[in-house]
Amino acid sequence: MQERVVVVGGGPAGISAAIAAAELGAPVTVVEKNAYLGGRPIEENYASLTPYLESAEEVMGRLIDRLTAFDNVDILTSSQVIGKSGDSRPFELDVLTGSTATKLKAGSIIIATGFTHFDPGRETQLYGYYEFEDVVALQDLEAMLKEGKVVRPSNGETPQRVCFVQCVGSRDRQIGNEYCSKVCCGVASKEAIEVKLAIPNAEVFIFYIDMRMYGYWESQLYWPAQEQHHVQYVKGIITEVLPKAGKLLVRGEDTTMGRPMEVLMDMVVLSVGMEASPGTRKMAVLLGVEQNKYGFIEAAHSPLDTVSTSVNGVYAVGAALGPSDLEDCASTGGLAAAKAVRDLHALV
Amino acid sequence: MPAATKDPYLKRDHVAGHSDVDRATKERLISQVMADSRFGDYLYGCYECGICVAACPSARFYDFSPRRIAQAAARRDVDLMFQQMQEDIWECSQCFSCLRCPRGNNPGGVITIMREVAVKEGLHSAKDALAGYSRIIYKIMSTGTQVSPDMLQPDAFPDWGPEVKDVSENLDLWRRMLPPETMHTTTTGWQVADRTLVELYVIWLETGALDMIAQVDQGIHMILEEIMEEKLEEEGIEI
Repeated sequence: MQERVVVVGGGPAGISAAIAAAELGAPVTVVEKNAYLGGRPIEENYASLTPYLESAEEVMGRLIDRLTAFDNVDILTSSQVIGKSGDSRPFELDVLTGSTATKLKAGSIIIATGFTHFDPGRETQLYGYYEFEDVVALQDLEAMLKEGKVVRPSNGETPQRVCFVQCVGSRDRQIGNEYCSKVCCGVASKEAIEVKLAIPNAEVFIFYIDMRMYGYWESQLYWPAQEQHHVQYVKGIITEVLPKAGKLLVRGEDTTMGRPMEVLMDMVVLSVGMEASPGTRKMAVLLGVEQNKYGFIEAAHSPLDTVSTSVNGVYAVGAALGPSDLEDCASTGGLAAAKAVRDLHALV
Repeated sequence: MPAATKDPYLKRDHVAGHSDVDRATKERLISQVMADSRFGDYLYGCYECGICVAACPSARFYDFSPRRIAQAAARRDVDLMFQQMQEDIWECSQCFSCLRCPRGNNPGGVITIMREVAVKEGLHSAKDALAGYSRIIYKIMSTGTQVSPDMLQPDAFPDWGPEVKDVSENLDLWRRMLPPETMHTTTTGWQVADRTLVELYVIWLETGALDMIAQVDQGIHMILEEIMEEKLEEEGIEI
């Protein structure tokens, strides 16, 4: 059996890694649990990607086309890695496709099992995600934007006042997620722009702790949102959402103005953060790699080696390592591919 | 874009010393501010970082914050902006130290616009703020000069020392010692030609400056109108 680079997960990071490894001439197998490739952006119906507002389907489609064009890449969809034997390279992996079990000989393994959106039912504030229909999460609004129909779920009306609440499930000791999820500031700003483009008369607010628009996102998203689309950024986090006269009353403090605020909204969007996906947690255990206290896979030699794990020959990429943007996915994917292909050669 | 947010966070209608006005009036005033052609160049987006306050000399002496001015305008908060037109904007010294804003905002410029609207509309606060300046307004608008030698009375400026008394008693003589003949004046800073006055009066008329005065001080307006009328009639211009 030929030794291969096995990539677990077919999202942005996994596909990036698989393409890079294939370009280096290695035989590659991608194992994806869904029946399709594309990861979160496709699974969760993202309308567009940050920061260029380009259609998620188109961007991911181009990436998938590049991957499927390689002769040396096998793609196993509706498949999961369910077992591993051998403590060092090469590993033997048990893969289940539907009800068919097969074995793979992995010279190296790249974990690209990504993140899951924080479940707002777990937040310590009282946002009522499961209580009020018009309280939605970032990905719910993405799906609406993708359909081209931004309406209040409760009554189908066009919302006139929409607010985003940042850091839901992130930077919160009570929840146990002390980290920043890195992309939500940019994603919320992107969606706020898209809401304003769809409903020009709407008033859109973003309630935040800090705006973390690192690098070019500042001028690509933050400034245009504020200056061209008049999105209102208010430093102060909402403590609770209450129903009032068919609308949602959000309560918080306008901290920089030094005054309490109670504002009625038609729709509240929770900027949920990233958590380690069940797949990431499962693969970490199955492959014996160390996780950090949040369940993400620990990069063993950070900061300058972002992808090596505690197990030789096993790498992690993208949001399996922690909150990541798409650029992180592409760059960790490339680095892990280089190391994974090196391992293959080292075996010869 | 709606000109004003429909639901201010905190309703604080009453400002000490100034009666509140109805919502429609506030919206009309604020939309005048935001419709000003300079407004877009004076306010982009606000980080709320406070660098303008740190740079502001007035903020050290008054409960005044150029950041709050920028924020209120950025949020289209009609109630707060109106409240600021009644109070805060008159505490700015218009030095434009706030121009060091990283976003390129000009809170002092927003204040300039707000002041102009306040004066044009004859807001109570504008009248209050300008009350102490009636003599200066009268002098500049009627003569084209601001400070005249005959204002140098020893009683008015005791801190200038005993020589002020001597100078003021022989003002005409002292003035005639100055080399330029145009400065041999006592009731104006210098000699103002009739042609200059007429040009100034036309400027006051055409720019609406005279109308602004009518809003804040009717007494001075009447006097000025009378003075100007006479001069302008000689030139064949009717007020």
